[in-house]
Amino acid sequence: MLRRFTLPLVLLFLAYVLWVGSEFMELALGVAFFIFGMICLEDGFKTFAGGALETLLQNSTNRLWKSLLLGFTSTTLMQSSTLVSLITISFVSSEMIALAGGIGIILGANIGTSTGAWLIAGLGLKVDIASYAMPMLVFGVLLLMQKSKIIKGVGNLVLGVGFLFFGIHFMKEGFTAFQLGFDLSTYSMTGVYGVLLFTLIGTLITFVMQSSHATLLIVIAALAVGQVSYENALALSIGASLGSAISAVIAGFAANLGGKRLAAAQVLFSLVTTLLAMLLINPLMQLVDWMSSYLGIGAEDYLLKLALFQTLFRVLGAVVFMPFISQVESFLIKVIRFVPKSIEQPIYIYPEVLETPSTVVAAVRKEVQHLFDNAFGLLASGLSLKRSTLESEESLSAAVKATRRIFPIDVENAYEEKIKSLHSEIIAFISEAQMRESTRAATEELYVLRQASRDIVSAVKGMKHLHNNLSRYGLSANLAVRDRYDQIRLQLARLLRELQVLLAEEPTSTTALALDSLRLSVQKASRTMTDELDEMIRYRRLTANIATSIMNDENYVTDIANNLISAVHALLTKEAQETAESFNLDDVEIQQLIDKEAGLPL
Amino acid sequence: MKAKKLLALLSQFLDADSKTQQEEIKSIRTVLKELKNKERDLRAKLADKIDTDPEDAEALQLKLDVIYAQRRKGVMKVHALKRHLQTSENTETKSD
Repeated sequence: MLRRFTLPLVLLFLAYVLWVGSEFMELALGVAFFIFGMICLEDGFKTFAGGALETLLQNSTNRLWKSLLLGFTSTTLMQSSTLVSLITISFVSSEMIALAGGIGIILGANIGTSTGAWLIAGLGLKVDIASYAMPMLVFGVLLLMQKSKIIKGVGNLVLGVGFLFFGIHFMKEGFTAFQLGFDLSTYSMTGVYGVLLFTLIGTLITFVMQSSHATLLIVIAALAVGQVSYENALALSIGASLGSAISAVIAGFAANLGGKRLAAAQVLFSLVTTLLAMLLINPLMQLVDWMSSYLGIGAEDYLLKLALFQTLFRVLGAVVFMPFISQVESFLIKVIRFVPKSIEQPIYIYPEVLETPSTVVAAVRKEVQHLFDNAFGLLASGLSLKRSTLESEESLSAAVKATRRIFPIDVENAYEEKIKSLHSEIIAFISEAQMRESTRAATEELYVLRQASRDIVSAVKGMKHLHNNLSRYGLSANLAVRDRYDQIRLQLARLLRELQVLLAEEPTSTTALALDSLRLSVQKASRTMTDELDEMIRYRRLTANIATSIMNDENYVTDIANNLISAVHALLTKEAQETAESFNLDDVEIQQLIDKEAGLPL
Repeated sequence: MKAKKLLALLSQFLDADSKTQQEEIKSIRTVLKELKNKERDLRAKLADKIDTDPEDAEALQLKLDVIYAQRRKGVMKVHALKRHLQTSENTETKSD
């Protein structure tokens, strides 16, 4: 109940906040662009999954040193560790690189970002990535409008980077209010408290500015005018490292499981690095002084010393973190196991059931029934009928005729959540059971049940195609078209109702025999529909184009029906099937009955 | 164990095939009976629907046709089994 109202409440609250405080508008827009950019990037990279880019990425990240080098080089070139981190999260999300490879890139990027400090300190150079956003969006949209899948993928990537830049830009703008009247000298402090406070301030500034380079510029400016001491400036730069990890956290919200794990790894790494730098600030300062004398950096040249300090503590963090990458990877895989509630979980199959072959068969049978039940609900919605209607004794033809709207369900999504996940669990469980000692009868039954599970999956896949045309023509103003789709829906709805009733009964031989009449009615309906369509095309009551769509859909329905009947046949007990064998009608006998119904000579 | 009982056991053992066939006939007859009952129920339903819901009535008629075909198949099987049983009994009597 609460979940149902969460989104409307959040939307209302957001609308109120944006209305009352217009200063939040830019900030919210920035976050929205940022997340949308991530989604575009992920989509773009998915286009290239399985291709040359994936091979190149895998080869560039299959060793730790390679990942580190890739992270370092790309950050040095792009001058934005945030962007490199975000792109890496996209790569990991689309499973183009492994989590360990991603962690390597993040470590490399973290070291690479210190090159920016050298550039700023040495040359006063600042690369403004936001200025590239507009042309990127223009080119991105243009590429996205092309037909080629590859070019569209590139368009998504360009658009994604553009939106990321824009997102960062608007977030920066949105936070300007926080920068105004912010005088660092008022917080000047020495000792442990000074380190703690200025690290925190550095983190906040970087979060606000969405750029560790921008933070560095502020620190340099503050240092130049004497607003902060050298010691406090170092603490600020430590905070900048932690602050840039917050972008990764935001990106993690939009990413999938892999991306979330990588975002967590980055936060963990930033925390470790920050903690180490805070603890070892004095020895590091001494090391900087010592190295500065060798590198020819003047004792008063605080800017270059700051850059050196940044490089040292970032390298230190990476060196300390590196030996534990595989442990961190396993830890994150273990801890971050996001299982959405909507993903269907098996009810009857669990490891203890594997003990005896008979319990395995019974459990798998029940689980396949569970799968059938899910498919029943999904197929009912696909037909734009309520499950409760199919389960009641209401007239189905009246319900079909009374339909005023086609349910806008996402069959693909529902298939992933309710069917595919459960089917995968069943298949995995059967494979596990077959590795153990079993009887021949149990092995055969498991084989049949596996086939039943596949039949159910095929039936739902058929609905994916059928639902597309149902949405287009199901409620057509052309009565001839509407009638045909009503027939299709009614036929499948009747079958679903009959099958559910059969499965609910105690399985007997007559249950198995009842499936014959369902087979007959499916074949008869198919024949009737084809004859009617032929006639309609002949008398130009339907265009050939729509008629072929209906014919295709009729084929889908026949396949769905046959798959469901086969699945239910497999779900009946072996005894019920064996007794019915003497009575079951074969294909020839069913055909003879159809001919008889049609009044054709036998 | 008495001689009569021993002879009965021996006969049962030698007569395994015909016994299996008799059991099969028995099980087919049970299913035939179940089908007959089902047919009766469906006919009653058909009588209700024939005027009110022609579409449902058509579906019920289809089921009845299938049950009829299945029953006919079952009856033919029973006849075939009986004939086989009789032939084997006649052969045994002649050989005695």
